[in-house]
Amino acid sequence: MKKFLVILGFIAAILAVVLSVTPLSKIAYLPAVAALVFGSIATYLFKGKQDSKKSIQLIFLMTIIALVVTTYKSVYNTVEVGNTEELLEKENESEENAIEELEELEIDEADLE
Amino acid sequence: MRYYLLLLLLFVSVIINAQNTAIGTNEKLTFSASYNMSGLLTELAQVTMETSEVKTSTSTLLKLKCTAATYSKWDSFFKIRDLYESYVSPKTLTPYLYKRDISEGGYEKFMQYKFKHKTNSIESIKRKKRGDGSTWEEKKKFNISATTKDLVSTIYNIRNLDIHKATPGDNQVFKVVFDNEEFLINVKYLSKETINTSIGKKECYKLAISIKNSSVLKGNNDNLLWLTADANKIPVLAKFKIPVGNGELKIVSATGLKN
Repeated sequence: MKKFLVILGFIAAILAVVLSVTPLSKIAYLPAVAALVFGSIATYLFKGKQDSKKSIQLIFLMTIIALVVTTYKSVYNTVEVGNTEELLEKENESEENAIEELEELEIDEADLE
Repeated sequence: MRYYLLLLLLFVSVIINAQNTAIGTNEKLTFSASYNMSGLLTELAQVTMETSEVKTSTSTLLKLKCTAATYSKWDSFFKIRDLYESYVSPKTLTPYLYKRDISEGGYEKFMQYKFKHKTNSIESIKRKKRGDGSTWEEKKKFNISATTKDLVSTIYNIRNLDIHKATPGDNQVFKVVFDNEEFLINVKYLSKETINTSIGKKECYKLAISIKNSSVLKGNNDNLLWLTADANKIPVLAKFKIPVGNGELKIVSATGLKN
């Protein structure tokens, strides 16, 4: 039972760390909370036993790192559009070509103002 | 029978000659596209919808332009720079030329449709980038029905519907050509709803959008669009169901409105 909880905790904690460094960092909250829950249950159920607690401590450590990174990113990162020069160039070029194409097309007089 | 025929003709002529009452010539709508999973919202890209006037030697047309660009944090993972354009009649929003130039994480594709309304046909050009960097081109000519439109002008035509005359449950079907294939898009008016947006608290028309016989945007009111219940009918919110979580498109700003 303990092993199972520790394994689940590890998987959730690793997932939280991985997600926290990607742009999908907000979703890292879900596995982070799961890792904390699994870690806490494992600690609570086997409080008096002499087993090594290092694995559970590692789960908590990873989860805390993930939560710190995610919270930092959600507070300090602003959303902005990257370099759109390429797109602007594409737009201008496209409009020039479009006018040439439109000259060749038959446009219904009734459709125009 | 004659009565039905007359009604049908009247209906068709209303659709064909529907006048543009909602879309201005220098309108700019900016949206933020995000992915929502269990209430955790991740912003993905900025989407804009712009209109402008384009003059040729004989006519003045309305250019409808939609762009999508991922936010900088996504650019190193999956960079999107999409451009969709439609050149339409400013009076009836009938499309004449449609262009789609997309660049999505290394995948590049160009599509162009020239609408020949006299013969109800389209001349299309498809250009794609191969894995080795070279491009290939395919030209095609195919027939369409008289009311078929491209994707961009369909979005603007939905805004131009007389929703104030509709009652909840009413449907309108649009014929749309996409990737050289015709699709039927069903727009259903659900109800009126007041929602909070970045441009204020707005009373909106809630519409459900579905594509017939397609795996994307299936029925059951999963894909919703909210248009302001005024003369401009600005799209302020759109929600799309995807296998895990859902996608959202929220308005950020709206300028240059017609009314």
